[in-house]
Amino acid sequence: MNWADLNLLPASTELFMLTAILLILLVDMCLSDAKRGITYGLTLLTLAICAVVQVSTYTPYPVYAFSNMFVADPMGGMVKLAMYATTFAVLVYSRQYMTERGIFSGEYLALSLFALLGMNIMVSATHFLSLYIGLELLSLSLYALIALQRDSVQATEAAMKYFVLGALASGLLLYGISMVYGATGTLFLADVAKAIAGGSANHVLLVFGLVFIVSGLAFKLGAVPFHMWVPDVYQGSSTALAMMIGAAPKLAAFVFVLRILVQGLGALVADWQGMLVILAVLSMAIGNITAIAQTNIKRMLAYSTISHMGFLLLGLIAGTPEGYSAAMFYTIVYVLMSLVGFGILLAVSRAGFECEKLEDLRGLNQRNSWYAFLMLLAMFSMAGIPPLVGFYAKLAVIKSVVDIGLVWLAVVSVVMSLIGAFYYLRVVKYMYFDDKQDNSPIVVRADMKLVLSVNAVALLVLGMLPERLLMLCVEAMKQSLNAL
Amino acid sequence: MMSLYLLIALSPLVGSIIAGLFGWAIGRRAAHVVTILGVAVSAALSLKMLHAFLTGQAEVFNAPVYTWLTVGGYEFSVGFLVDSLTAIMLVVVTSVSLMVHIYTIGYMQEDPGYQRFFSYISLFTFSMLMLVMSNNFIQLFFGWEAVGLVSYLLIGFWFKRPTATFANLKAFLVNRVGDFGFLLGIGLVLAYFGGSLNYADVFAAAPALASKTIQIFPGVEWSLLTVTCILLFVGAMGKSAQFPLHVWLPDSMEGPTPISALIHAATMVTAGIFMVSRMSPLFEMSDTALNVILVAGAITALFMGFLGVVQNDIKRVVAYSTLSQLGYMTVALGASAYSVAMFHVMTHAFFKALLFLAAGSVIIGMHHDQDMRNMGGLRKYMPITWITSLVGSLALIGTPFFSGFYSKDSIIEAVSTSHLPAAGFAQFALLAGVFVTAFYSFRMYFLVFHGKERWMENHDSHHAHDEDHEDEEVTADHHHGLSPDETPHESPWVVTLPLVLLAIPSVLVGWFAIKPLIYGGFFKDSIHIDAVRHPGMTELAEEFHGPLAMVTHSLTTLPLWLAIAGVVTAWVFYMKAPQIPAKIKSTFAPVNTLLEKKYYLDEIYFAVFAKGSRALGTLFWKVGDMLLIDGLIVNGTAKLVGAFSGVVRKLQTGFIYSYATTMIVGVLALVTIWFAQLILR
Amino acid sequence: MNFETVVFYVLSAILVLAGLRVITAKNPVHAALFLVLAFFTSAGLWLLMQAEFLAITLVLVYVGAVMVLFLFVVMMLDVNFEQLREGFWRNLPMAGTVALIMVGEMALILMSPEAKLGSYHAAAPLAADASNVKELGRQLYTTYLLPFELASVVLLVGMVAAIALTMRKRKDNKTVNPGLQVKVRRNDRVRIVKMDAEKPAKPETGDAAEQQA
Repeated sequence: MNWADLNLLPASTELFMLTAILLILLVDMCLSDAKRGITYGLTLLTLAICAVVQVSTYTPYPVYAFSNMFVADPMGGMVKLAMYATTFAVLVYSRQYMTERGIFSGEYLALSLFALLGMNIMVSATHFLSLYIGLELLSLSLYALIALQRDSVQATEAAMKYFVLGALASGLLLYGISMVYGATGTLFLADVAKAIAGGSANHVLLVFGLVFIVSGLAFKLGAVPFHMWVPDVYQGSSTALAMMIGAAPKLAAFVFVLRILVQGLGALVADWQGMLVILAVLSMAIGNITAIAQTNIKRMLAYSTISHMGFLLLGLIAGTPEGYSAAMFYTIVYVLMSLVGFGILLAVSRAGFECEKLEDLRGLNQRNSWYAFLMLLAMFSMAGIPPLVGFYAKLAVIKSVVDIGLVWLAVVSVVMSLIGAFYYLRVVKYMYFDDKQDNSPIVVRADMKLVLSVNAVALLVLGMLPERLLMLCVEAMKQSLNAL
Repeated sequence: MMSLYLLIALSPLVGSIIAGLFGWAIGRRAAHVVTILGVAVSAALSLKMLHAFLTGQAEVFNAPVYTWLTVGGYEFSVGFLVDSLTAIMLVVVTSVSLMVHIYTIGYMQEDPGYQRFFSYISLFTFSMLMLVMSNNFIQLFFGWEAVGLVSYLLIGFWFKRPTATFANLKAFLVNRVGDFGFLLGIGLVLAYFGGSLNYADVFAAAPALASKTIQIFPGVEWSLLTVTCILLFVGAMGKSAQFPLHVWLPDSMEGPTPISALIHAATMVTAGIFMVSRMSPLFEMSDTALNVILVAGAITALFMGFLGVVQNDIKRVVAYSTLSQLGYMTVALGASAYSVAMFHVMTHAFFKALLFLAAGSVIIGMHHDQDMRNMGGLRKYMPITWITSLVGSLALIGTPFFSGFYSKDSIIEAVSTSHLPAAGFAQFALLAGVFVTAFYSFRMYFLVFHGKERWMENHDSHHAHDEDHEDEEVTADHHHGLSPDETPHESPWVVTLPLVLLAIPSVLVGWFAIKPLIYGGFFKDSIHIDAVRHPGMTELAEEFHGPLAMVTHSLTTLPLWLAIAGVVTAWVFYMKAPQIPAKIKSTFAPVNTLLEKKYYLDEIYFAVFAKGSRALGTLFWKVGDMLLIDGLIVNGTAKLVGAFSGVVRKLQTGFIYSYATTMIVGVLALVTIWFAQLILR
Repeated sequence: MNFETVVFYVLSAILVLAGLRVITAKNPVHAALFLVLAFFTSAGLWLLMQAEFLAITLVLVYVGAVMVLFLFVVMMLDVNFEQLREGFWRNLPMAGTVALIMVGEMALILMSPEAKLGSYHAAAPLAADASNVKELGRQLYTTYLLPFELASVVLLVGMVAAIALTMRKRKDNKTVNPGLQVKVRRNDRVRIVKMDAEKPAKPETGDAAEQQA
């Protein structure tokens, strides 16, 4: 053990982030509520610096740190950048909302960064233990964030449900990991892969563990039948938190799944493929069909998330590098879309009024045509209507399953996305064809307006020029999966 | 070079975006300045490029610009192919567009949609440039659809007029038919020609497929190339308004006149001609397809000319003459004389744009009255319009030394050297067409510029709307004809300047361009002719001894005398003895009705396709929608979804323990499925 | 069957039973005490595996600290446990069936010959002078440095969350700041006002007011 083994440089972003969080906590202690803007500015600055450090320490091949416990590879780097951007947008969108509800505290910002740190670890871990601790760091921060809104019974309930079910899912995951350890004698992903490939591992134990691991992962993604928490937590927690849960953590969960299933248990692809097919079909079906029956838009978006996770799984099911990069593309696109959707809900909400019902969007076009248009972009993109980027995302994952011969699965997913189009278009109908019932003006801070507009227009621009991002995903995947 | 080409294509787009999105902010003046600037940059650069090609300094440029999407091994990219064919189209498009931009300043002066209009025409220019610069089918198709889209937008520009929206819809629907064929053609290309949509790859793959056949109906073998070519040509028929898909073009005159000049005369309608020329390596391999092209072109050339004879709306006369001239170009394609067709595209673009703009000038002078029966003697009031119209008409009918003469005569010569079975019919149709063209052109010319000032005597008649006339209904903000005591005035300089500028090439371009363009091997890199099977062009080249010799030669051939006969007949009918046409009209009433009803094609289409499809639609609606979809699928699905959601909702109790149970059951199910063998044993 | 095996089975049986009682015991204090028992027996199992440090830590941390805290909470808070247990018997059949199937399936799978559990053998006994603590420390500060540090971050998050959830300004919070209390001077609290003497108020007005009321 020496400094060379430690090799901290690849983890410099995480180290900086942790230092910055501690500083922010200290600084925030000395600030009054009126000066919370300073903490906010520091948090955004931290994110910006993290992004800069991330870019400047980029390497086109994987490098290891912390005695091989931590890896920095192009895929991780790209996802981390996306997570910084996402968290940045989440904080910008939620500032006004949280302030109006009196929960815009330093802890909110610090816990958001803690969650981000947890996600970074999930993305970069190469060992089941560090993967798990990253996951717990994220989850714990999220539970606390939801519970921060203490006056709200619903939020407390949501936090409780999330916590208990999350603990159960962690239990499943750990049990599965212990089985894998039993079969291979190691917890390093690379060594696990080597042991399985070498044929020395106990196959029954492995697959038995795999079932539990897949269940735990499915919970984190929110795939059916491990999805029950999603609608309740989305509905119960404040809109800002629902947005946060649905955004960056999905990116982290995607890489988390990829590291475990592909980099660790890649040799068991024949087994987990089938499990993921079941999860994907159920998620797409139940997500899309149940969403139709929802009148609460947060719940509707929750079911929409479930169905999107089904689509994401399609890319993983393929078990090919193209499929993985398609899934990565899908995840990034999904996060962009979901940010816009929730961003609009936050913009329409105001002090004392929560935009929660579908009816609350009635006549949005008459109230503010620009936000209606942005929401329209998000909805069209989620429905997968060209030329918005959601279309290419769906196309890419569906193509990847067609390529491995699962045509029926492709057909099912197309049918499901058609069913899904119904409830997305219903939102558009409410916005454009119904008369407004609420005349209060929509007041939004300029920074949020700018970021939200850029975010939504990106859906259109990426839809017209998807190639660059798609190629980035393919490249990152290629550079990262070859090693390890 | 790449940046130069990008600049050519993108500068009109920039103008369009600025005028379209920020037109409200920057005002009218800035809107036209910025769009004209954009197009002027394109035009100047195109001219420079054409010069480079003419002097042999430029090389064929073929490279991708941006890979747009890769799906399933198929690459869809934006790419430029710039060769002599492109260069000539670029010059035609940008220069006519520039003229039209300038002209619009005067023509649309009072229109509330001024900035929108400039944005549209610049957008059109951009789309057209992308179309002609494309190096692959997919971009070609996008450009194709984009020009179509702008064309629909512009036909319906005065969307408050019901006739305009009808014409707009008609153009849209008829073009869909053509596009359907075109898309099928592209599909065949993608499926059989090596899986690439790049021209170069497709042309390289074509020779190997010469004898390949496909089965469309079981048991009937079709040559792949013939089917592909005919389908592609169906696309060209829609866009270039060839019989029987021509019906939209006359109605498109509902749009503002600058549009008629730019889109429906000079550029967009020649996209079909351009496309077939571009695909010459494919078409050369299928004699059947060439015959089809010959027949379609010949019918269009002659029969659309007849219709021009009975029209009273000045713009419609020019519109039918456009149809007829497009027929000429198509015939040239069928005779494998692609270069001649392109030559005619160019000359026609200039003189037909000139005629349209002159007609527009007349319309301005007549305060938006388009009926020729109310005009007459305008030469005194609008001298510049008069002279330029005369130049345009002379060019159109093929007067020696005018540009139209060289291109049209070359087409007729080319057809006479073609050995295809349909060439005989085509040649006859073209010759007869020469007479008809001369007749209706000068009928219009005499009615408008000579004779008595009729608006002074029978002004009332144009308020009594008869059938040809109803499309003249204009919105309230337009003037409604001249009152008897008014006199028309010459249009402002922004209107007459383009007329003069267009008149110059209408006269000169033929003389100077025929040798380099057709016989100088200018198109050798872009047009491929199978000289063994279609030796027409080589024979033509042997007979060519320079532009002057062509004139002397023409004195001994039929077309010139037919044209003269046409002019004389028109003079007799409309200047000397105006009672004759009326007499003929009554004697041959059925023929006249047939012509006035445009061969009843609109009625037939309406009865067969519109009513038929409506009946079919009703059937489907009753049986399919009401019974199956509404009854079973929609309501059934709704019920199913409702029931399903009900079940799911029951599971979604909100209690943690039931969620946890669900998760455990999920794990259990997975375990059971994956270890069924072990457990059941 | 040697002595160690007997101890193992005895301890395991107690552990499982204690675990069952934790969730079935009606009295929450009893449940907590059964949990203590479960911790003790698992510590015993670790001892059997020669993991002395872990066993002792388990007893010290969980039994000594966590469970005592638990008992305090259970005894001090007025939680209606009857209400929490509502529906227990109603859901028992379902839950029991699922649990039984689960156990059955796991047993079938893990005991099947394919699982080859027989191929796993006990680890070789450690040398008499092997130091459990030293080895753990070495591992924690070398290979497992990252998870170790991260665990501390997780604890920090727990602290931040707990403080954020409990220590915010509340309207009904009656805490006082001792610093301010010490700093206070008489002048801050008492103001002496000089004023002229006044005549006592006239009694009639008071009567009038009473009459009006």
